[in-house]
Amino acid sequence: MIRSVTFEKTVFRDPPAKFEAGTPNVAGAVGLAAAVDFLEGLDRKGLAAHERSLLDHASALLSAMPGVRLVGTAKQKASVLSFVVDDVHPHDVGTILDREAVAIRVGHHCAQPLMERLGFPATARASFACYNTIEEIEQLAEGLCRVREVFA
Amino acid sequence: MNAELRDLYQDMVVDHAKNPRNFRILENASIAAEGYNPLCGDQLTLYVKIDDGVISDICFQGVGCAISKASASLMTAALKGKKREEALELFRLVHRVLTDGPATESDDRRADLGKLAVLSGVHEFPLRVKCATLAWHTLRHAIEGRRERASTE
Repeated sequence: MIRSVTFEKTVFRDPPAKFEAGTPNVAGAVGLAAAVDFLEGLDRKGLAAHERSLLDHASALLSAMPGVRLVGTAKQKASVLSFVVDDVHPHDVGTILDREAVAIRVGHHCAQPLMERLGFPATARASFACYNTIEEIEQLAEGLCRVREVFA
Repeated sequence: MNAELRDLYQDMVVDHAKNPRNFRILENASIAAEGYNPLCGDQLTLYVKIDDGVISDICFQGVGCAISKASASLMTAALKGKKREEALELFRLVHRVLTDGPATESDDRRADLGKLAVLSGVHEFPLRVKCATLAWHTLRHAIEGRRERASTE
């Protein structure tokens, strides 16, 4: 935030106000509250079980696909599934899945040292939540078949 | 498969991605330039040998997605034997096609592009344009003798 601005000179307010960039993230705070309300209204155990079943189904399906390798298979993990497709860069995987109406995250996931340790430039990562379905997992697997076709 | 996807991953693009041409280090290069795309981690080193203003050899090494590798491979294949100015002209042409879209029929951009026309499908995928332009930005840095690493940002 500033004290005054002219074409010649800008005077900032004293810290910490000078580091505050204009409008605070109001929409973010309101969105977070709505998300908390939404989750509070759901059965927590049922939610966890649903996510678990999606993760188990996806893990089984993808690990059985030739050329697809899961990255991170700890028993007690969140319903997030990282994987790589042999000889296909994750960004290409992401673009093809995108056109198959499956949105995933690809890249180094802000964990470059880990990527280096694992020996991958990046990974593909699908995450599952209460609104995802078993059918969508099947769609992900089918999309991965398209990926393998493109680079066959 | 989706038509735009087929345009992006044309056979020639996939072929160049899998078997990149001129994928090696050039020991006696006149110029070696680094290119980096911080968003996706694609990295390449471009080696150019220039004799009497003509690119007598050009090759690259690096890691990246299919689009960035194919673009670099096609670029090196297209530039061998070209003059410095011709290479810069080709950079401008490719950059325009990738960012503004492929030429209309009345335009002769496509003809000027030759084999590089296979890259024009990238335009439909805004997130991937930087993958395709990385090698070309690095080329411009190399030819114009800039010292800093080329970046897509």
